[in-house]
Amino acid sequence: MRAPALLAMLLAAAVPWTQARIDARLGRHRAQEEVLYLWSGEQVRRLVPGFEDLLADVYWLRTVQYFGGQRVYAANKRFDLLLPLVDITVTLDPRLQIAYRYGATFLAETYPIGAGQPQAAVKLLERGVRNLPHDWRLRQDLGLFHYYFLDDPQRASQILLEAAQIPGSPPFLATLAAQVLMKGGDRTTSRQVWRRIYEQGEGPMKNNAAIHLAQLDALDALDAVNAAILAHERGTGVRPATLDDIRAAGYRGPLVDPVGVPFAYDRSEGRATLAPSSSLWRPNLK
Amino acid sequence: MLPVTEAAPALDIRGLSKSYRIGHLRGKRRPALRDLTLRVPRGAVFGCLGPNGSGKSTTLKLLLGLIFPDSGDAVILGHPMGARAARQSLGYLPENPYFYDYLTPREYLDYAGRLFGLSPGARRDRARELLDLVGITPAADVQMRRFSKGMLQRLGLAQALVNRPELVFLDEPMSGLDPLGRRSVREIILKLKAEGSTVFFSTHILPDAETLCDEVAVLRGGSVVAKGRLDQILTLDVSHMEVLVSGLAPPDVSGLAPGVETFRSMGERLVLHVPEKQLGGVVVAVEQRGGRVLSVQPVRQSLEDFFVAEMGQPAKGEAWTAGA
Amino acid sequence: MRRVAAVAHNTFRESVRERVLYNLLFFAVIMTVSGLLLGELSIRQDAKIIKDLGLAAMDLFGTLIALFVGVGLVSKEIERRSLHPLLAKPVSRDEFLVGKFAGLGFTLLVNVGLMTAGLYATLLALRRGADPALLKAVFAIYLALLVTVALALLLSIVTSTAVASVSTLCLVIAGRYSDVILNLGDVVPGMPAWALRAFMILIPNFRNFDLKDRVVYGDPVSFGDLGWITAYAAAYTGTVITLAVIAFRRRELT
Repeated sequence: MRAPALLAMLLAAAVPWTQARIDARLGRHRAQEEVLYLWSGEQVRRLVPGFEDLLADVYWLRTVQYFGGQRVYAANKRFDLLLPLVDITVTLDPRLQIAYRYGATFLAETYPIGAGQPQAAVKLLERGVRNLPHDWRLRQDLGLFHYYFLDDPQRASQILLEAAQIPGSPPFLATLAAQVLMKGGDRTTSRQVWRRIYEQGEGPMKNNAAIHLAQLDALDALDAVNAAILAHERGTGVRPATLDDIRAAGYRGPLVDPVGVPFAYDRSEGRATLAPSSSLWRPNLK
Repeated sequence: MLPVTEAAPALDIRGLSKSYRIGHLRGKRRPALRDLTLRVPRGAVFGCLGPNGSGKSTTLKLLLGLIFPDSGDAVILGHPMGARAARQSLGYLPENPYFYDYLTPREYLDYAGRLFGLSPGARRDRARELLDLVGITPAADVQMRRFSKGMLQRLGLAQALVNRPELVFLDEPMSGLDPLGRRSVREIILKLKAEGSTVFFSTHILPDAETLCDEVAVLRGGSVVAKGRLDQILTLDVSHMEVLVSGLAPPDVSGLAPGVETFRSMGERLVLHVPEKQLGGVVVAVEQRGGRVLSVQPVRQSLEDFFVAEMGQPAKGEAWTAGA
Repeated sequence: MRRVAAVAHNTFRESVRERVLYNLLFFAVIMTVSGLLLGELSIRQDAKIIKDLGLAAMDLFGTLIALFVGVGLVSKEIERRSLHPLLAKPVSRDEFLVGKFAGLGFTLLVNVGLMTAGLYATLLALRRGADPALLKAVFAIYLALLVTVALALLLSIVTSTAVASVSTLCLVIAGRYSDVILNLGDVVPGMPAWALRAFMILIPNFRNFDLKDRVVYGDPVSFGDLGWITAYAAAYTGTVITLAVIAFRRRELT
């Protein structure tokens, strides 16, 4: 009685152990990749008549798992599977709104947060808008992405106005359309944009919007710090040695970013910036 | 023996023929029944006998509408073969019956009763009665997947009688039963007869037919080779005696000839077959050699003897031992 | 009618005792696990996914039951000869066949009904509301199951159990791929239009019964639509059952 039970336990333990070895060697997501090389969205759709929506859900779950499985700010993130997975998902279920928004968000964001492919993101949103013409949220996102990621306030405003025409859309869309056009590039407008996205978002998209808002707050704070540094230099004739100096001189604003990491100070340039170690740091932060 | 009535027979088979296709080619057919004609009077117990492949089961299936004849027809209790009205008064026990594993006998009998249109109360009572009659009341609420062949056979008999049928078809009714069971079935058949039902049963166990049947038909190769009352088919002359002796060994028997036709051993005793005329001489010879005569039994021709005599060697495809 | 009811009742009893309804346990596990885990994993798409899953499970499990139990309904009885003592009683072959169909139909009704209850229970437990429109999709799925049973029944009478299983499966799959069949004309160039049309009509169009996407996304499905879908199912099933009756009347039960 004991020996077979023991044997069964040993063999059972061997299963996940060998799986881990295989994954280490051949890569954890290879099954997904292999499948994607074989099937296009249309081909998959044709395979499962009557169960397309369910399979779309499965692909959606895989997409979230795939992306969620990689840490938000990690070194070798792979984005090559994101678009194919989302493509199959929305081919199977063209009305799965969340897939368009999620996919677009992480396609558009700069590497390493996202794939850094804003054009692809916009194309995805355009597809979503075609399939869900009465969905104001997708059209709104399309407009906002034109503004923020493609630097095209004209087009952005147009699209936002279209969104405002959709029955059931909220009144702020028209206002946003005007703002985007007037103050293109302005931080306040950006804040408006990301505020809207934050309010409507869920899960990773909400977090992403929160990060953008925090970055804007950080930039505002940095503006004040840099003004204080300049004032200090003018006043004492010497650049502050560290940021504590301006604190000692009476500066009251925050010297740490919204996630609690102290600002970095480059004395030779006389400028404070976000510390590279901060999770808010991006190359070329606007 | 009941007198043969002139009233309408319970079963009137006229020229029934059936052949089966062999393989998938259109041409070849194997005849299973050739021009069968039979009448079974009401109230009789009728035996249908024959070796494997002689057409006994085919006959029953044709009568019940399970298969369809090539030609011929039959009238069952005054109705044409296959009519629903006939089946209201019929009972059928198939050979090697299979019921539903997941039902209990009580449930099966209730189901059968529903098909006859009995009311719930009538079904309940009848089920109880029948379970008792065939002796499976202790297992009345046990699922039949646990049943032995003998118990299934008993249930088979019970379900054949749910509607108090006027005509009962039994295909190998004794099969799978122990001696007590067989006696029980015999009693039931006699009881049915006493109640006025007609019983038509097919069997290859000849002694059963001998004791129960008023009339028999003997089938071979799909045709009737003998038909009629038993006393008409078998000669009743006591032709042989069986003499049971002890104290002699087989080699001694040769010395008793020419009296002894054949003999067989039964343990340390011998059973000698002796023509009636030679009996006296053989008895004396046995005693002279130091043996003892234990008993003397007259033997009349049995159905088995008849079979052997009339039918000779089995033809190709016939088997004497298993049922058909 | 009473005899048909007797056969139907026994058929239902058989399903229960042969544990056909155990698939419901599996369904319950799926619903529970989904309800517990999907919220985070799907970024709050759990209600939608649970509806998709519930309806798909009804469709899939129901089809498997309709098919594999359906092909055995009559042919198993013929092969095992349990049919013989019953047909010797005053029940006609027609009544037997219809009773069997009704019995399995009822079993499927119970199965689908309990799954529906389970689906609603899960949605209510997640506080997502019990959308009555789901019932339209459930109804359509049930009609599809009846069509499947009828096909399984017919095929099992004219062929053996094994052949019937495979061929019914093929028909059911073909019936779901009706768009492929529409395009057969392109794939097989020589195919004449009438043959294509005949093919399309003969094969049961299971897409008619697939309202899942529409119902989950809240598209309107009028009672008129449902009425026509029901009429199609009735016509198709009626034809197949009638053919089955004809075939069964002629079948020799050796």
